[in-house]
Amino acid sequence: MKNVWNKIKSQSFKSMEREEMKCSQTEKMISRYVDNDLDTEEKRLFELHIQDCSGCKQELEEVRSVHELFASTERFTAPYGFTTRVMANLEAKEPSWLWQLFTFRPFVLRTVEVAFALIIMIIGVVSGNLLVADRTSGRQAVQATVQESFSLDLFQATPPDSVGGAYVRLMGAGDER
Amino acid sequence: MAFADDGDLINRFKGGELSAFEDVVRKYQDRVYNLCRYMIQDAHDAQDAAQDVFLKAYRNLKTFKPDASLYTWLYRIAVNTCLDYKKKSRPEQAEDESVIDDLTSTEPSPEQRYQSKEIGQAIQLALQKLPESLRAAIVLKEIEDLSYEEIAEVLHTSIGTVKSRVSRAREELRRLLRKKV
Repeated sequence: MKNVWNKIKSQSFKSMEREEMKCSQTEKMISRYVDNDLDTEEKRLFELHIQDCSGCKQELEEVRSVHELFASTERFTAPYGFTTRVMANLEAKEPSWLWQLFTFRPFVLRTVEVAFALIIMIIGVVSGNLLVADRTSGRQAVQATVQESFSLDLFQATPPDSVGGAYVRLMGAGDER
Repeated sequence: MAFADDGDLINRFKGGELSAFEDVVRKYQDRVYNLCRYMIQDAHDAQDAAQDVFLKAYRNLKTFKPDASLYTWLYRIAVNTCLDYKKKSRPEQAEDESVIDDLTSTEPSPEQRYQSKEIGQAIQLALQKLPESLRAAIVLKEIEDLSYEEIAEVLHTSIGTVKSRVSRAREELRRLLRKKV
């Protein structure tokens, strides 16, 4: 009973496959058919469908033509002197072992460098402030020093003992007269 | 010209022989350049890309595992380089004479040559309209004549995906080249 059922099932499946090999299924197989990649059964069903379906047959012919176009198209060779140029480029772009050694800095080392630089900068700022505080005792003295340092008097255009200063004195005396 | 076996070339290179790499370039320059020409339309850009391929290969050849095949490895570098390649802005050349200069064909007639060139240009234009993944698959299949297995190795994907991409690319090209076909 079971055998009979299996026989009926397989026969009906085969006939269904033959009859219901749809265009959408066939279209998906065209490329593989062109490459001769279908197995015997797939190929048989495919060819069976193609015999009766003009649309799929047309599509197969067009895909085959595209494949043939590629076959007839030109193949390029590397331009003259290509290898020489590649080898010259390698030598130009490849850094020497000495440079590689010099520039060898793993990430950890680079992080340490940055951290070290930051520490030095902080120490510089803090110690600078401390030195100013030590040199000048008292708040007023500090203010005076700061005012003095920013005062434009430091940059007198004509200091009294210079030639300019003497000229200004003379002119001033003349004006008074 | 007969070239040495890939395994010998790699061993010589790993032993510090620079001339072994020169032999690798000589052996594969045409295949790599041809692939770049179809992946990138412009002849000059393709040449730059092909040079980059060998520069990358030189830097990584020491780590190359001998169980893989050298040409699929080179093709992988070439495909990735071409896909990453930012097309430089060049003044448009109406008729690129370099296309004629580097034809390999063994003295075809002027008519055949013209026809082949015309077809080649139509194909190249159509290829540029394909999505990158489809372009790589179809160029490797139709231009480089690789098997589905080899393409899968180059593109680091499954054979089923390759078959599907080749099929979709052909379908797209059929539509684009309908007038030429």
